[in-house]
Amino acid sequence: MNTRKIVPFVAALGLALSACAGAPQPTAAPQQAAPTTAPQPTATSAPPAAPEATATAAPEPTAAPTVEINNPPRTPEEVDAIDLTGKNVTIKFWHRYAGSQVTKVLEIANDFNQKNPYGIKVELEQAGASYDDVYNKINASIQGGGELPALSIAYQNQAALYRSEGVVIDLTPFIQSKKYGLSQEDLADFFPYFLESDKNPQFPGEVLGWPTQRSMEVLYVNLDMLNALGATEPPKTLAEMEELACKAANPAQETYGFVWKNDASDFAALVFANGGDLLAPDASAYVFNSPAGVEALSLYKRLFEKGCAVAIPTSERFGEQNRFAAGKLLFVPASSSGLPFYASAINAAEKPFKWTIAMFPQASADARPKIDLFGASWSVLKTTPEQELAAWLFMKHFTEKENTAAWAITSNYMAVRQSAAQIAIEQVKNSSRFANFPEAAEGYAKLYDWIQYGAVESPVAGYDPVRKLIQETVQKVAVQGEGDPAEALNAAVEQANQLLAEYAPK
Amino acid sequence: MTVIASGRGGAARSRMRTSTKREALLAYTLLSPALLLFLAFTVFPLAFGLVISLYNWRIVPREFLGLGNYARALAPNSEMWSALSTTVVYSLLSVPVQLSLALMLAYLLFQKIRGKGFFRVAMFLPYVTSTVASAAVWARLYSPDIGIINQALKSFGLQPLKWLMENKGIFTLLAEQFNVTLPAGVTGPSLALVAVIIYTTWVFVGYDMTIFLAGLGNIPGELYEAARIDGASGWSLFRNITLPLLSPTTFFLSLITIIGTFKAFNHIWVMTQGDYGTTTASILIYRQMYEFQRAGYASALAFLLFTVILIVTILQNRFAGQRVVY
Repeated sequence: MNTRKIVPFVAALGLALSACAGAPQPTAAPQQAAPTTAPQPTATSAPPAAPEATATAAPEPTAAPTVEINNPPRTPEEVDAIDLTGKNVTIKFWHRYAGSQVTKVLEIANDFNQKNPYGIKVELEQAGASYDDVYNKINASIQGGGELPALSIAYQNQAALYRSEGVVIDLTPFIQSKKYGLSQEDLADFFPYFLESDKNPQFPGEVLGWPTQRSMEVLYVNLDMLNALGATEPPKTLAEMEELACKAANPAQETYGFVWKNDASDFAALVFANGGDLLAPDASAYVFNSPAGVEALSLYKRLFEKGCAVAIPTSERFGEQNRFAAGKLLFVPASSSGLPFYASAINAAEKPFKWTIAMFPQASADARPKIDLFGASWSVLKTTPEQELAAWLFMKHFTEKENTAAWAITSNYMAVRQSAAQIAIEQVKNSSRFANFPEAAEGYAKLYDWIQYGAVESPVAGYDPVRKLIQETVQKVAVQGEGDPAEALNAAVEQANQLLAEYAPK
Repeated sequence: MTVIASGRGGAARSRMRTSTKREALLAYTLLSPALLLFLAFTVFPLAFGLVISLYNWRIVPREFLGLGNYARALAPNSEMWSALSTTVVYSLLSVPVQLSLALMLAYLLFQKIRGKGFFRVAMFLPYVTSTVASAAVWARLYSPDIGIINQALKSFGLQPLKWLMENKGIFTLLAEQFNVTLPAGVTGPSLALVAVIIYTTWVFVGYDMTIFLAGLGNIPGELYEAARIDGASGWSLFRNITLPLLSPTTFFLSLITIIGTFKAFNHIWVMTQGDYGTTTASILIYRQMYEFQRAGYASALAFLLFTVILIVTILQNRFAGQRVVY
């Protein structure tokens, strides 16, 4: 082989090598022993004298017995025994908030930094633009042995994966701590369902996150279109919704009654509305191939077959919102957190119209409703008992009544405390954004009445790929019109259960 | 005498050895920053990726599997085969179309025509535009209900298409127009994949054209003059002078274009996220890594993709390289 032939060959080999290096491949951070071991006791011991009294707890008697403090603390007594006095603990909080949301969190954090009697300092770090970014960053830190924050936002299924790795801690001892915890009165002020949603059947008795925000799957309704169809109020049953959606649809005019926007939560809402579940209550298996699941998928299939629904391309963000604001969609199943964005879009539309949000329709008007409720929580990661306590105290401060209300108004999420809900409702009703849409503001007020019907999709580790499976199944059967709903769901559930086993805590 | 001569020779050799050692030391010193970077950011990640591929690795290593991940990827029912076949189809359709079009444009813009500077810049612009931005714009153009392309089709009385949301093969879609049902093996690539290929061509044809223009500029004009004197013209000149003397450029472009199509990720992710028959090997690797958190399996897939690219490159070098005229 002469030189002229060797040169391109070497170049080709180099390019091929770089191709491999450039292809998406696993994070190759330098490895250290990852912190995967089960919680172990530390040498930290309680101070000999009782800690100082705070605004949240009565003074402890002096000469309290020494308590060994595990990391993480396992009992309320261990939490009580942690002394933060003079420690000036600094904690990091990884989030994905931006714009007005991050401003509000920063404001509350600064307030906490100034007022807390222990010198705790909370530092905010934007770990990404999405929940997935934060999730991947935490996972990369666990893998690379890098520094983890004391506090992070996380969906319940993400927290479950962290818990499997031993990096998210159970908050129960902190909540029950006499010195640092919540009073019964405080606890009763939280919407019970929100507190329940951070419990996980894979880790019985543990609380893996603290609810700072929640949303609900609702039906956005174009009231002008609805009235033009002869209906006076939003549909209460799925049958009514299907009929109205098809009446409204006119594909030649790019007008549709319903929408598929590649969101597994929309499918979950339909499964719940039909009385089913995605996951068995004991988390032993996925069950969305039940008759309720088949009916949910069949409804989508019928809507597409009859030209009543439109699918939004995956590349198009807020495509359903834009079409709704343009008067091209009668119903949109979506999160309640989108309410102000819909209001802004319709305010800016060429022809604004009357609209509202309604409870997601159910299979039967007589049965007890079942509604998809979701939202990321804040989870405390295993650091030191002092930092863990500092993170808890910040969350406690963040979810005090006034902060909860302020956060709900800024973030567009629902207030997690009952006492804060009314403040948020009044704010929305008086907001200039909703001045033209009293029906929508009224819809927001009703959200809080529907919390009691909440249902959770799946809090177990490995739910993210299951969501993708669900989306692919709806795409294939409904949007593409290929295959039978029952068979497709059986195949999807089989794969989902393999994932459930694969991700199960060992 | 001999002793003296030997002593002189030994001293000279010793000086030479010292000088050579110094040169080598200097060379390695100068080379060391780049070498260290290469070791840290290329060799180490590759070696570490190889180690990961031997484990069941979700966030942390769980179980040593040996070649288990590779066996899983190579199993007959593995999703890798489907992803690889999509990648090959993507490459087979993209590369010839891109290169032919680029050569045609380059040949055209190499002539003395008015405004060729403008057209050269205009053709190159898509390549320097942000891939994510342009892919998002194209995805909007392809939108089934509000996209401009379907609006245009409808204005001509044609049936709108689902474009990026169409899983059906293009031959199936054509056959449906004549109420013919095609068997599963001959459905063709999905319309979504074809739509992505159209975008890819739009982006890269300008770059290929620019490289071809450079190649055309290197062909000595005397060869054309001599050939014209001998009576050659038009196609004959192109066939016997331009094409052979452009072969190093064509070879280089085909090499990097094929490798590029096998690595393609960004625009496919933006346009379809791998849905509707567009899951290429890179998309599969990404999804296994970030959606399924299967680092070991994703690494094994990445090394298999590397092997495929290496084999294709070697074959290309062996067969196409022999036809290159330097």
